[in-house]
Amino acid sequence: MSSSNPYPVTSFSLSGGLPVIARSRPGPEILAARLVIRGGSGADPQYRRGAHQLLAGTMTRGCGQLDADALADLVEGAGAALRAEAHEDSLVLGLKCAATDTPDLLPLLLAMVRRPLLAPDQVAIERQLNLQTLQRQKEDPYQLAHDQLLRLLYGEGPYGHDPLGVEGDLEAISTDLLAELAAGLGRQGAVLVLSGTLPNNLQALLESSLEGHPWPTHQPMASPAEEPTNPDQGLSASPAGDLMALEQDTEQLVLMLGCPTVPLGHPDALPLRLLQTHLGLGMSSRLFVVMREERGLAYDVGVSLPARCGAAPFVMHLSTSADRAEEATACLLEEWQRLLEEPLDSAALELARAKYIGQDAMGRQTCAQIAERLALVLSHGLPSDHVERCLARAADLDGAALQQAARRWLPQASLSLVGPASALAPATAAWQAAGGIDLSRSRSLA
Amino acid sequence: MPSPSRCCGPLLPGLERPNRRVLANGAELVSLDLAEAPLVCLDFWCRAGSVFETGSESGMAHFLEHMVFKGSHSLAAGEFDRRIEALGGSSNAATGFDDVHYHVLIPPQAAPEALELLLDLVLEPRLEEDAFAMERQVVLEELAQSEDQPEEVAVQHLLAMACPGHAYGLPILGRREALHAHQPEAMAAFHRRLYGGGRCVVALAGALAGTDLEARAAEGSLASLAPLDGSPPLEPLRVKPGEGRLELPRLEAARLLMAWGQPPARDLRGVMGGDLATSLLAEGRRSRLVARLREQLQLVESVDLDLHPMECGSLALLEAVCDPEDLPAVRATIQTVWEEVMAEPVQAAEWSRVRRLVTNSYRFGMEAPGNVAGLIGTGHLWGRYGSLEAPLEAIDTWDPETLRAEALASLDPRRAAVLEAVPA
Repeated sequence: MSSSNPYPVTSFSLSGGLPVIARSRPGPEILAARLVIRGGSGADPQYRRGAHQLLAGTMTRGCGQLDADALADLVEGAGAALRAEAHEDSLVLGLKCAATDTPDLLPLLLAMVRRPLLAPDQVAIERQLNLQTLQRQKEDPYQLAHDQLLRLLYGEGPYGHDPLGVEGDLEAISTDLLAELAAGLGRQGAVLVLSGTLPNNLQALLESSLEGHPWPTHQPMASPAEEPTNPDQGLSASPAGDLMALEQDTEQLVLMLGCPTVPLGHPDALPLRLLQTHLGLGMSSRLFVVMREERGLAYDVGVSLPARCGAAPFVMHLSTSADRAEEATACLLEEWQRLLEEPLDSAALELARAKYIGQDAMGRQTCAQIAERLALVLSHGLPSDHVERCLARAADLDGAALQQAARRWLPQASLSLVGPASALAPATAAWQAAGGIDLSRSRSLA
Repeated sequence: MPSPSRCCGPLLPGLERPNRRVLANGAELVSLDLAEAPLVCLDFWCRAGSVFETGSESGMAHFLEHMVFKGSHSLAAGEFDRRIEALGGSSNAATGFDDVHYHVLIPPQAAPEALELLLDLVLEPRLEEDAFAMERQVVLEELAQSEDQPEEVAVQHLLAMACPGHAYGLPILGRREALHAHQPEAMAAFHRRLYGGGRCVVALAGALAGTDLEARAAEGSLASLAPLDGSPPLEPLRVKPGEGRLELPRLEAARLLMAWGQPPARDLRGVMGGDLATSLLAEGRRSRLVARLREQLQLVESVDLDLHPMECGSLALLEAVCDPEDLPAVRATIQTVWEEVMAEPVQAAEWSRVRRLVTNSYRFGMEAPGNVAGLIGTGHLWGRYGSLEAPLEAIDTWDPETLRAEALASLDPRRAAVLEAVPA
């Protein structure tokens, strides 16, 4: 295996096909386990947005012979952490425990998936909690801007909603639907990764927790290649696309500028990752220097590019005072345009590469991080040395290659605004002056 | 083998007592080797939190932390970040009530250079006028961003109620008018007054084997710091019980916030007792408050209760999220649950549960160099030189009966500062 991990790696399949990869790691006697099952909130049925998160939450509320209280007693009694949640592309179950408790707790991961109780009273509690969380999240202007951006970028598509769901839909999700979704878990593949102090009888322990009923699943497969949004790479006059604005009585205006790009396994994911690193990672990053250090426009500024099996969103974000709204909008747009028009110079590219390599070590500090990162690439159908391959490939990419990827995937961006009317007006004006379209206006006229 | 008094196995194998070295000027070095860590954490700690501000210095400790990154005598603005990140590292800083720290995570081979950069940066800030004016804007944006989160506004209001006349009741970010009035000279004076030998510690944790970091740190700019001592004793915190109500725009759910005074951080036994007691009440679905309020009565979306260890006196802070009309029922239930806890001995299963939750949470934190550097850095900064096992040994000094009589008794709801925050 990779040179970065000299310790033994075990891998095998459970009956039915679940691939298991276990990396031994000395240090504190801890076990971290991560089970990733393809099919998350992006696979929520129509008008049932939030179903996968509701299923995941309910899985922690009873499985096999253990009702909700007994399961919580077992986990909390061992001082362990056991979680299940829906991400966009998968259900993720995580366990962290003292190594001595592994025999009691590790089997729960498979029991939760294969034998969830889905008791109606527990579904009701979990549903109510999710509804309350959705309501409370509206207090956060960043959350509002993010939800609005998802609608702009993905509409009714798989990534158009928060994994928690949508209020009306959540109320309509039946226990029968959850049972149906639970029965289908694993059809699109799944993988279990462990890191830390491993038990001697790992395979037997996991096998016995299936209780003689093999779980039909398999190694997840890679996403099919996407067609570029801008194959001819011709540049339009401005990258300004659609805009949506939401008025809130806040001091600051939140701006999120983004567009959908590529899956993690796409060849262009690496150049886009290097651009994200250049623009938004660390205090030497371009946006931090230009918008915060040189202009004092914002405290929080950054760029996100989450790993996705589909078209991952590339998003620049910041929040600024109402009286700087126009400058901030114009400046963000200028930086987006710069990605398309200018290749990174060699110093900037070198710095981005160094940060990208540094990030890899930052993500290998704990057993849980090691399990998480390996499970992520395997769940995307990528080889276990995907990260090492990317690190090697990064050395060969030049500024022109990054610019070409930007032109293919970032030709036009949408802007989500949340803030006071006094900020929305100048920000919208700056957007329209650059050729962008205000959808919130056309929508209210319709 | 686990010692018989312990409830769980030896999760901290091979961790030595941290190495300690005191320089002639009083500055301290503390280090711990973590062989498996892929990185080294360099963590500079200084007793220069907001508690050391005078009235007119409101927000100065935090503003200075920002200004430090704007360059030093030998580093241009932005040069530190660029060089650290080019070495594959990352850096950040945080200002608290008691102390401030600046930390770097870096691959071992680059750690010596990074250490030199970090000490240059922190010990000799430039504080140039133009950069000062620009960074003031950034701090004001940070303040505005925090004021746009109604929950943060509510917590600040609770602290002001609970800690009247104490620095813990004042915002670390500072008052807006004070921030507008600050000048570089006053900040330089603040730095001279507080950033000196005897008030600072450099903590090193991670893959240290084969580096000579300690020796380098002992020779560089750290050794040339002016010795400082005789800082005035910190003012003990006395939490004022009382009740308040606050209407907040943009709040979607009501918050019940409560604050209790708890033993200061130097009282390790007291702090671990506070951890055990708060875990018994609100850590996990089977804890008393979560089980009753959320799972059984379904009155709250969440209820959290955490101990925040601090030097003048720790705070236990409770937050419950609920419908505004349920606030009276939530408060009454908290009172009832506390009375039930006080009326009956803690049973063996519950006692074992809270011990394991607290010990595992401490031990799980021992993997990452950043956590370990923070732990040994802040401990040594405030004169606590115990081994890493000391918190676990302190847990073993408690039993169900003393926990009830001391730690749980101190969480009497009638002794808390209580704030109801409701949507305007």
